[in-house]
Amino acid sequence: MTSTDLLVQQLINGVSLGAMYSLLALGFTLVYGILELINFSHFNVFMVGSFVAYFTLQQFGLAGQTTILTGLPLIGVLLVTLVVSMVAAGGLGVLIERVALRPLRNVRGPAAMITTIGVGYILFNLVLLCFGADGKDFPNPLPPLHWAIGGATLRLREILIWIVSVLLMGGLTYLVQYTRMGRAMRATAQDPEAARMMGVEVDRVIIMAFFLGSALAGACGMVFGLYYNFTSYVIGFTAGLRAFTAAVLGGIGNVPGAMLGGVIIGLIEAFGGQLISTSWTDVIIFSILVLVLVLKPAGLLGRVAPSKS
Amino acid sequence: MLTRRSNLLAAAAFATIAGIAAPALAADKTIKIGIDASLTGGDAQGAILQRNGAMMAIDEANTAHAVKGYTFDYYTLDDGTATAGQYDPAQAAINARKFVSDKEVIGIVGPQMSGAAKAMTPILSQGNLSMITPSATNPDLTDAKFAAQYSPAGKTVFFRTVATDAYQGPYMANYFAEKLNVKTVYVIDDQGAYGEGLANAFSGQAEKKGIKILGRDKIDPKAADYASILTKIKSINPDALYYGGTMQAGVKLVKQSYEILPTMIKGGGDGIQDPEMFTGAGYPAAEGWYATVAAPHVNEDTKLAGWVAKYKSAYGVAPDDYAVCAYDAASAIIAAAKKVAASGKPVNRTSIRDALMTTKIETLQGPVAFDPNGDIANKVVSVFKAHKADAPLDDLSKQYGYIGVAPQS
Repeated sequence: MTSTDLLVQQLINGVSLGAMYSLLALGFTLVYGILELINFSHFNVFMVGSFVAYFTLQQFGLAGQTTILTGLPLIGVLLVTLVVSMVAAGGLGVLIERVALRPLRNVRGPAAMITTIGVGYILFNLVLLCFGADGKDFPNPLPPLHWAIGGATLRLREILIWIVSVLLMGGLTYLVQYTRMGRAMRATAQDPEAARMMGVEVDRVIIMAFFLGSALAGACGMVFGLYYNFTSYVIGFTAGLRAFTAAVLGGIGNVPGAMLGGVIIGLIEAFGGQLISTSWTDVIIFSILVLVLVLKPAGLLGRVAPSKS
Repeated sequence: MLTRRSNLLAAAAFATIAGIAAPALAADKTIKIGIDASLTGGDAQGAILQRNGAMMAIDEANTAHAVKGYTFDYYTLDDGTATAGQYDPAQAAINARKFVSDKEVIGIVGPQMSGAAKAMTPILSQGNLSMITPSATNPDLTDAKFAAQYSPAGKTVFFRTVATDAYQGPYMANYFAEKLNVKTVYVIDDQGAYGEGLANAFSGQAEKKGIKILGRDKIDPKAADYASILTKIKSINPDALYYGGTMQAGVKLVKQSYEILPTMIKGGGDGIQDPEMFTGAGYPAAEGWYATVAAPHVNEDTKLAGWVAKYKSAYGVAPDDYAVCAYDAASAIIAAAKKVAASGKPVNRTSIRDALMTTKIETLQGPVAFDPNGDIANKVVSVFKAHKADAPLDDLSKQYGYIGVAPQS
């Protein structure tokens, strides 16, 4: 491999990883934008999403790495799995909001945030209890197609991640910018009181934010499983914490910021491993988190949060 | 309604039963053998196999009334936690205190993992309670250099029925150099006590054998993506990749290295001698990986066929070589108890510890005796290669084909 090939290969690795972080970071950002709440249960909603995808694929008779689909059956299976994991994770997000967070809506201080940590642990332990601690062999129906770009390799699964992420992020941007619900969400983010006075149903907006963020986490869970052919009950924390860093880096509450932050963190992880050492990845990423918080607390694209006037 | 006569009969019957039962109760003192393994987390499958092995030896001793006047009971503790996703040193230390505070515990089989052992030995040393590990292979634990740290009270309390990574890593380096003709290697570990020690021991001997170490890195077992490091290795293009670590990182490493480094020679220690290699990583990714076990490979031996069949029927799963070591570890404690009881002394943790120092028994794996540091006298490392077999994926003895004993120098 020449150094150009290496650069291209690590770019492919980093962007794919970044696309997943972006999907996850959006969930933090959507909820924070509206409630000014950091939802730590999001880590494990993502993990549950990947288990839902795992069991859905098994329902299609797929197990291990042996059954390969092509053409329409492949697209059909992937679409159904994507929708099932998104709806399941989205529903879980809404359930968490309704059961654990709404009763705390008007409690001041960090109570709600701490509750999200607790809910995250409940999900974590439930999955551990029900499905065991071993790493799961995630079914892989993708044909092993790959293309050479010089000495670098681009695989079908990377293209899949990019397509799913771009489509979902495009859809989200459209929803937030051009629909009534999106306008209501932006209004609530700016000033919940005023939005309420203008007839925005704030409860619905909040539910929507949880549903959308969690559904994206569900999609990310499926993509994660297909990319690594692996899932386990522990995947939430590392990925979640890095995605959270991405959201802060881009400017928490800011939708394009989360997408940008995700890709940057992905690239840092890929090139950090190449140029320095993988054992330093976390040090680099979290040093960046600290630096951003100190030097540019609003993040790269600026923070969006409810005004507290 | 009771008559006077039936009353009398009942009293007589009661007296008879009590008369028979009383001496039996007085004679059979219950003593416990502790079992500690990482039953929660990534190493759970191997942990269960070991626990079964120890339980089987204890049950057999009870059935055969092996030690006159004593019945054995087991006291099983789990040093894995959900938060750690594998062994948790803090939990291991708590378990050690529980064992020490229960006066009926005379010895322990375990722990499975070296990281847990490092947390437990200082506490057990203070309690003078001996422990025989069937699979913790970190060399420091029985190294006289670290005696102040791992046996602060002075006496050896930590024994092994396995060899150590001081042999497992280097013997594999010998195998790489002599049998696989490896000239260059990249070495990674999973940041754990076990993985790091194994990888360092491998690297040291590899250099002596003339293998060039082209790089040395660590991967985070909780991270999911190793593409960055594997791409780097691909660009450096060594002959082989050596991984020191367990299956928590291993599952992902095996899968991703198959994608990125499909033709490279890949090997590891006994951390990847785990059913998860096949149930988690699976074929085709696992195909061709080399692994070692720091023990003789005996569970395919025809002499042990009866034992393996018995194990399978009792626990519904095939034993691995470390299940044999666990059985042997429990057997060593039972043999020590027998020796103590025969000499007329009371069987307790002090007498058991002293007896273990001189115990020599014939076990499933061969003769077991311990040197003054607690190491097994006869150190054998076996090499295996993963190759798809027509058997259940979690049947390790079928999926890992036995290659032979690793060269000792």
